[in-house]
Amino acid sequence: MSMTESGTEPDLRASDERTQEFVAEWRNASYNCFSSGHKFCREVCPVMQVTRNESWTPTAFHANVVAMERGDLEVADIAADYVNCTQCGACELRCPNTLFTGDFYRFRTRTVDVVKAVRALAVETGIHQPQWQTWNERTDERTHEPVLGAVEVSQEHVRDWAADLDLPIGGESILFVDCEAAFYRTSVPRAVAQILQAAGYEFGLMAEQWCCGGPAAEMGYVDQARRFAEHNLADWRAAGAKRVLVLDPHDYITFTEDYPKYFGADFDIEVVLVVELLAEFIRDGVLTPSIPVERTITYHDPCRLNKRKGIWKEPREILRAIPGLTFHDVDRVTQWSYCSGGGGGLPIEKPELTAAISADRVARAAALEVDTLVSACPWSERPLREAGAAQSIDVVDIHELLAESLGITVGGSRGS
Amino acid sequence: MTLTTERVDSVVEALRGVLRDDQILTSKTDRWNRARVPAPFPVHRWAERLPDLAVLPETTEDVAAVVRIANELLVPVVPRDGGTGLTDGAVPLRGGIVVDVKRMNAIHEIDVLNRTCTVGTGINMLKLNEELAKHGLIYPDDPASYPCSLVGGRIGTSGWSLIGARYGHTRDLVLSFDHVLPTGEVLHVGDGIGHKITKSSSGYQLKHLFMGHQGTLGIATRATLKLFPKPEAELSPFWAFDNYDDAYACAGDLARAGVATFAGAVLFDEAKVAYLRRDDEAYIPQPADVRALVCAVMYGYEDEVRPAGRRLLRIARSHGGRYLGDEISEGDWAARHDRYATPLHGRTKAGQVVPMSWHCEDAAINFTDLPAVSREWHEIVAALRRQSDVFDDWGMFAYTSSDNGTDWLTEIDVGIWEQQLDDHAWALWVQAKRDLAAVSLKYHGSISACHGSCREGEVDLVPQELGRGFDVMLDLKRTLDPRNIMNPGKYHLDRAYS
Repeated sequence: MSMTESGTEPDLRASDERTQEFVAEWRNASYNCFSSGHKFCREVCPVMQVTRNESWTPTAFHANVVAMERGDLEVADIAADYVNCTQCGACELRCPNTLFTGDFYRFRTRTVDVVKAVRALAVETGIHQPQWQTWNERTDERTHEPVLGAVEVSQEHVRDWAADLDLPIGGESILFVDCEAAFYRTSVPRAVAQILQAAGYEFGLMAEQWCCGGPAAEMGYVDQARRFAEHNLADWRAAGAKRVLVLDPHDYITFTEDYPKYFGADFDIEVVLVVELLAEFIRDGVLTPSIPVERTITYHDPCRLNKRKGIWKEPREILRAIPGLTFHDVDRVTQWSYCSGGGGGLPIEKPELTAAISADRVARAAALEVDTLVSACPWSERPLREAGAAQSIDVVDIHELLAESLGITVGGSRGS
Repeated sequence: MTLTTERVDSVVEALRGVLRDDQILTSKTDRWNRARVPAPFPVHRWAERLPDLAVLPETTEDVAAVVRIANELLVPVVPRDGGTGLTDGAVPLRGGIVVDVKRMNAIHEIDVLNRTCTVGTGINMLKLNEELAKHGLIYPDDPASYPCSLVGGRIGTSGWSLIGARYGHTRDLVLSFDHVLPTGEVLHVGDGIGHKITKSSSGYQLKHLFMGHQGTLGIATRATLKLFPKPEAELSPFWAFDNYDDAYACAGDLARAGVATFAGAVLFDEAKVAYLRRDDEAYIPQPADVRALVCAVMYGYEDEVRPAGRRLLRIARSHGGRYLGDEISEGDWAARHDRYATPLHGRTKAGQVVPMSWHCEDAAINFTDLPAVSREWHEIVAALRRQSDVFDDWGMFAYTSSDNGTDWLTEIDVGIWEQQLDDHAWALWVQAKRDLAAVSLKYHGSISACHGSCREGEVDLVPQELGRGFDVMLDLKRTLDPRNIMNPGKYHLDRAYS
């Protein structure tokens, strides 16, 4: 690149070598946002919608990096602000920079990655958010996230949800069940497992399943995330697995984005999203939901499916195949500004913001005069259910609903 | 930063008497992220524009209480709404308290029968229209920053709307508002008694005085807005021309046609089309003989818009315009309308692609002067580019401001390589802004139709533009803000106190 007659190389004045490395990696991504300054992202951001605080916007998250490059801000100045993000990806979609070049070059503004990188830098620098630190320490001890609070989670109980389902261990296809579903909303994995059984699909469970590591990576505990990933991959390999079935959108992000970064070309495991597989089964006539489910519903597009992965058709295919439902759909683009508030570690550090975001989401459902809000993400279902109780709106997982229409008695717990 | 730590502590202590702690922001990031607007500025001078603290009021009373404290303690106050303006209205020049109104975003009332709504000024128009759509209504204030700018900022800047030829601009659409004066007193201002009255002959017409002042006369907190039926149909034909002159003549005839559903026309000059062809990935390539473009947009009921469209298509055809088809027309209007049409790069004179951000300078120019102003503006930017590769000419647009084609928002888009914007390049840019403004005045145009004129450079010519009117501005400023606490340093208003 040629330089102007008046220009000089940027003066990298960041205070330490690690911060200099960080800004060297992220300065251009952040500068794209900083220099444009459009802020189209602001009103779709779920945190911004409930806080109206410009310090906690995607624009600020990028601008801080530019200020760090100048030596004007340090990671200690900014770390706590980066808690205020669910990593839903709405800002990236609404960014004019994404839209314009995205149409042709698939360029996407990288706000989620910047947030993760700042959180990682903070942890590496010894700056911890108290609840995240405790959460990840306990996850490390227990190999699972402490989703039951005082009730301890452990390896001995990770398959309790499947106690009566006679599921094998190992095999070519492994069903991975995230911590929230395995210990808290056990009705979801029970529904998934029984639907797969009804479809005649062979699958097994892991010999020793650990947390996917994704939440640790989202909160900045990258070494721990990597260790967990290595364990899980080793378990899959030992079982002879060729593919992993995923029922949780957060796991889907972890396995399709984080694991390939960790393992490169060595990561040869096919990752299958269950909701896509089930839509295919219905399309092909392998499954035919036939028992009417008399509910008036709307569908909550999980952020990691709709905004991060562009997956929105298949859940609607499933819902439209279930007889008896009255479905008041809200299009996926409108839902860019919807969120449960359950992602990115927000409910661990700032549960009051998660509750406010969920309340907003449920209020939008209530305006449609539905009795049920259907989601496809176990992590969204707890905060939405808590908010829904106040509005007399039931929150149901799409797999639970499909199982019911297939005549399956699901069992398990929908949380309490 | 203008205040000592001790002074900041005492201001915070006083604010704690009227606000909760979570409404008072003093951290570094809170301050750094309320120092900027999208207009380019040398990154190395960012720290010059920091506020000392920010507050997040939730009511008119909160704002009034903060302003009273600031007035008493002689601390500058800078109103901040969306922070999307291009003339630095929301940028603190002397530190002080940024009053960030984003939490005042409630919809207080939708009056379907009288066709008004009353809102907090921290609400965004897109978000407001999501709610109004449930009633089949729209608030048609539609700037390029529609997804992110806020009603209060539109009042403070007296904004311009892309579809203003059909529905009017912010000054026409805001009927009245509550306004906190620099002394902390609260004023309700509109036509006569204000509220939901669209036309009054009672008293001075004060509403316009409290719009477009760039935060120098106070803070609007709650506004009553004029509503319309949500349009049933939108038609946005694009036409291609092989030369600028025919496109220019066509755009004029379209605007003068007097079609009731006509909401606006846009003229792309030859430099704009060349730039889009060169560097805009979203531009759908057209044959090389396409050198200028015109688009028009109509809003209304389908049985109004269809015959209106046929009339405009006839006019365009008579000027040799080639209709580009439905797909390009709808897509390109959506692109111009819903997004900022800005690639993230331009080129050096040698043709090297470099990261650049978009900036534009605008003016209000009569139709007959558009070609001359365009020519002289391109010459100014060409001279700038000869001196520095930091700048790239991205061509010009002209947009209708009125419903009869009298004057046009004339805009030259300049790519700026902000990472390389050092003091020398900045000085070149500021001088170029003065030169652009001087051309506008030479042709009896106004320095800005849209963005405002209080930024370094063009602001120097505002006294010349307003003449005796500028002295009236100084008198009013001194009367309403006797201690010069409201957004000081803007518009050369310090002269009121010298």
